[in-house]
Amino acid sequence: MNRAVQVTGFGVRTAFGPGAEQVRRGVFAGVPAFAPVTRFDTGPYRSQVAAVGADSLSVADALAETAVAAVGMAGVPVGDRTAVFVGTGGDFAALTRYWRTGGDAAPTVPAWQAEALAVRLGARGPRLAFTSACVASAAAIIHACRMITAGRIDVAVCAGAYLVEEDNFAKFNSGRALSRDGRVRPFSADRSGLLLGDGAAAVVLESRSHAGARGATALADVAGWGDASDAHHIAKPHPGGTGLTRALTAALRRADASGLDYINAHGTATPLNDSAETRGLSAALGDRAGMVPVSSTKSTTGHLLEASGAVEFVITLLALLDGVLPPTAGFSRPDPDCDIDCVPDAPRPAGIRRAATINAAFGGANTALILEHP
Amino acid sequence: MTTVLAAASLGVDEPAVDLPGVPGFIESTFNPLVYGVARPCLRHTAMIGARTAMVLGSLMGDTTTADLHSRRLIDGKVHNPLLFMQATANSVMGYLAAEFGVTGPALSISNPGDPVAPLLDTAELLLAEGELDHVLVIGVELARAARSAAAWQELTDFTLGGTGPPDQDFAVALLLRAGGPPLPADRPGNRTSVRDLLRVADGHLYQPHLGAS
Repeated sequence: MNRAVQVTGFGVRTAFGPGAEQVRRGVFAGVPAFAPVTRFDTGPYRSQVAAVGADSLSVADALAETAVAAVGMAGVPVGDRTAVFVGTGGDFAALTRYWRTGGDAAPTVPAWQAEALAVRLGARGPRLAFTSACVASAAAIIHACRMITAGRIDVAVCAGAYLVEEDNFAKFNSGRALSRDGRVRPFSADRSGLLLGDGAAAVVLESRSHAGARGATALADVAGWGDASDAHHIAKPHPGGTGLTRALTAALRRADASGLDYINAHGTATPLNDSAETRGLSAALGDRAGMVPVSSTKSTTGHLLEASGAVEFVITLLALLDGVLPPTAGFSRPDPDCDIDCVPDAPRPAGIRRAATINAAFGGANTALILEHP
Repeated sequence: MTTVLAAASLGVDEPAVDLPGVPGFIESTFNPLVYGVARPCLRHTAMIGARTAMVLGSLMGDTTTADLHSRRLIDGKVHNPLLFMQATANSVMGYLAAEFGVTGPALSISNPGDPVAPLLDTAELLLAEGELDHVLVIGVELARAARSAAAWQELTDFTLGGTGPPDQDFAVALLLRAGGPPLPADRPGNRTSVRDLLRVADGHLYQPHLGAS
């Protein structure tokens, strides 16, 4: 049995709309999706904008939409041995609705989201929700990789979803994390913070043996993964990005690789994150760090919180499949603390073989996933 | 095969137990409970931070903080940045990581059904990769409140099972290491409470329980 992990299907939704083509037209074209929020009254807040899609969906709807698309693309039978791992903090719009007008409480529970998705797909294998904030859906993907490698499962549907709502908007506002000028400028000297965005994605992961036995075409291999903690602070990243270094180093070691052709960064555009991330990448890659293109697609999609890992995994996969690097939009001027090639403003054609996607979260949690052409 | 090196549990049947104060964490017992059970385990002499991971399991999570923030939002009150800082279970694990130098993975999960097996399974998976010596697993659940009671009922109706919330805010932690004899109650099934983690540790306790259990 070959327990290598392969990606055989995906589904994605961003503020640009559902599907990969919308990602190509928005994220890969470097077009920010930010606009005034009309879902709730933003009057009390520091910012009034976010990357919000036109459709009105629940978290469960967005998970189901992308997971059904992923399973359809993979053409994989779903049943007793299909696992479902979801990155979600629950449906916060449902939480607000519960206290404001009453309504169902179950969708506010992360585990319910995983269970509801499993029921929707007809998956009867293990199911679990990962609640670890901005690394939640990356953690779900890493868990699936571990389960597949260990021979516990053959197939997993991994998903994450976050849709902009007032509860988290207010939290990030109170933490003074939202951009002051309505723009997200990762790695720029004048970056002032993040903006939230709608996002959902799902991927189907399979063991190479399972995919091969059913004649499936692999889109990519998940060659490496790593997760590690900063051991520094409850909310701030370690200024040296030490946890990120450990996570990426572990992923490179597992992939038996020393170099990368592209990195999709966490890149929140907060002053602390981007400089810490740059130092962490430099420590992991050494002399090669300056030669690896690194972009933050949060400059177009906004920060997708628990969905970040899954959506940016799909964006990284598209970069690999299309041979195009998505840009860091809105780049203004260099920051000496972020001395990386951040692919400013315009997409860049590049034949890449191996790419990484990086995420970080409150509590100093860090994840790294490496994708390779199969 | 996994061995329990240390265990601790703590319950709050207000106001019987004084929880440890954790700077920056206010209003809710969730984080002090986690800290209170994790601290004695992470003080184990064998624990090496660079080779230790943490996995926190809670079906409902910190409902006190979530509900407080939501109700304040609806009432139009000023938002407290401390509620933002403690809004995820990652935060208290970050606090623990900083104090004890834990640099391995930190995962938080919410599981439908059996609250114990995913914690132990995840620990086994982490240990099997060979880069860690120890995994601290933590189970925590808060007692019934308005939304969580409604959610528990709806989850039961949705066939997620369970017997409802604990009668008190409760947390338990086990420090596990790879190797040794199998756990004493290996995957018995039909576990419905994080208290069942204690059954795993029966006969293997390194530390006495710190509070009601």
